[in-house]
Amino acid sequence: MKYAIEVRGLRKSFGDVNALDGVDLGAAPGTVLGVLGPNGAGKTTAVRVLSTLTRPDAGTARVLGLDVATQAGKVRERIGLTGQYAGLDPNLSGEQNLVLIARLLGASRRQARARANELIERFDLAHAATRAAGKYSGGMRRRLDLAASVVRRPDVLFLDEPTTGLDPQSRNGLWQVVRELVAAGTTVLLTTQYLEEADQLADSIAVIDTGRVIASGTPAQLKQTVGGQVLRLSPARPDAAGQLAQLAEWAIGAKARTEDGAVIVPVAHAGEAQAVMVRVNQAGVDLAGFGLHEPTLDEVFLQLTGHRAHTEAEPEKEMAA
Amino acid sequence: MSAMNTAATETTWTTKRGTLAQSASMAARSLASIKHYPAQLVDFFMIPLMILLSITFFMGGQMMGSWQDFLQYAGPTIIAMGLFFAVTSTGLGLYGDIKEGVFDRLTAMPVSRFSLLAGRVAADLVKYAWALLVVGGVAFAIGYRAEGGVLGTAAAAGVLLLFLFAASWSMVLVGLTAKSEEQIQTWMISLLMPLAYTSTIFVEIDTLPGAVQWWAELNPLTALADSMRVFLDGGTPGGEVWALLGWCAAILAVFVPLSLRAYRRKLTN
Repeated sequence: MKYAIEVRGLRKSFGDVNALDGVDLGAAPGTVLGVLGPNGAGKTTAVRVLSTLTRPDAGTARVLGLDVATQAGKVRERIGLTGQYAGLDPNLSGEQNLVLIARLLGASRRQARARANELIERFDLAHAATRAAGKYSGGMRRRLDLAASVVRRPDVLFLDEPTTGLDPQSRNGLWQVVRELVAAGTTVLLTTQYLEEADQLADSIAVIDTGRVIASGTPAQLKQTVGGQVLRLSPARPDAAGQLAQLAEWAIGAKARTEDGAVIVPVAHAGEAQAVMVRVNQAGVDLAGFGLHEPTLDEVFLQLTGHRAHTEAEPEKEMAA
Repeated sequence: MSAMNTAATETTWTTKRGTLAQSASMAARSLASIKHYPAQLVDFFMIPLMILLSITFFMGGQMMGSWQDFLQYAGPTIIAMGLFFAVTSTGLGLYGDIKEGVFDRLTAMPVSRFSLLAGRVAADLVKYAWALLVVGGVAFAIGYRAEGGVLGTAAAAGVLLLFLFAASWSMVLVGLTAKSEEQIQTWMISLLMPLAYTSTIFVEIDTLPGAVQWWAELNPLTALADSMRVFLDGGTPGGEVWALLGWCAAILAVFVPLSLRAYRRKLTN
């Protein structure tokens, strides 16, 4: 089997909104596929189709070679899902949530309790095991949610924006868990709005926008396309912005643009930034400030599509409802 | 988060647990919240209790001369009506369940759809049984006596719970298709109440206006009220019990498949 997840020409519309407009995706077994895109891009719909929760209008989606539309039952035997909205019973304790899932999956009472306790230890929830999940903090709820999707170790795990709204420490903890699952052989499809997250975890990335894959490849390839990093130059005198952009283009051939009076230069690596700085220095243009940072999703989008990411759009769940 | 080796425990459980066992797990889940919010135990019987007490004491005397006579005639069936109104909670509970993400997870698991719905119905049935015990106890305390004795009372409770089980399934469909909680409440007022008032819950059939009589004969709540009375009064069960069983079978035959279809539409759209 070449792909653990294989999606071809997937289409799904809700009313006159094309949530998926011909999406192709592929993930080799034991790898992480990052699906990167803003709100409303179709990420959640793609995850829902792959986890058998939404029927596609056209196209095929296969998980472990099984068609999600015609072999949904078999697909459900092998997948785990952490949706964007916590898939937990808020009235049950963390432990009860995990025991319920294990019981539904066929564990005996004793087996279910043993597995729940094991996961509670590993996901650092021992202090809150008997508290109602509805009273958990955002980070704890995410951890419990992830624990719930690995009660029976899935062959393919779907994570829909697993770290949205989490503090950096909780986020790093979740990344660690995902890495360990992958090391144990699980294939993961993860949606995210953060390029950094896709970069950290994914073996391959698909960038989607308005229901279409607009770029795909390894993180390195993608960064090459969009410029690995972003150099931001703020001129001391606002009217020097045009000159700075020109200098950047001479120095490394990069297409710079202006934003809020600052000049944004995509660079492949730190050396290119250095070359730009040398040229600016030689030309004697005064800078109020400068910085080198990872491109944001917005910058990736601007680079790939020429328009900004619709980060203000309504969450997709509203659309699907 | 400490280091994790997810392969430590065997997680491919071989025990085959069928639909009934899965339903039981789901029922236990619905009931588990009582542990965190024990005040619910009071909520379950408050409405039927208040309906019984207010109707008996404020209206009973006027309807039958003395409230004691009224209690003896209509007490058990008014309890039945209060519990019948309470089936709305099945719809509301399911509506709430689906709003939470938990049903997305459960739907993406290899669990029978029937179990996910039947678990809620079964849990609610336990709540109705509890409410019946409490409110029935109050009726006994204020003077109700069943001529049919313990056996007759048990049989009456049995047919009531059977009917509530069937009626809950109609609320499952409502919970799955309602657009809002208010809509479910409206359903209760506009559908369940007229149904109750055109039956023999309160009154004997010949006291109803002629046009309503033919419907009252047919009304499933008449079948329920008459069946309960025949058992409680120690009579010989006959046509009314068959009518009730027929109604329960018909309600289930219609609403279980419709609910499953609504579930598919709602959760795997």
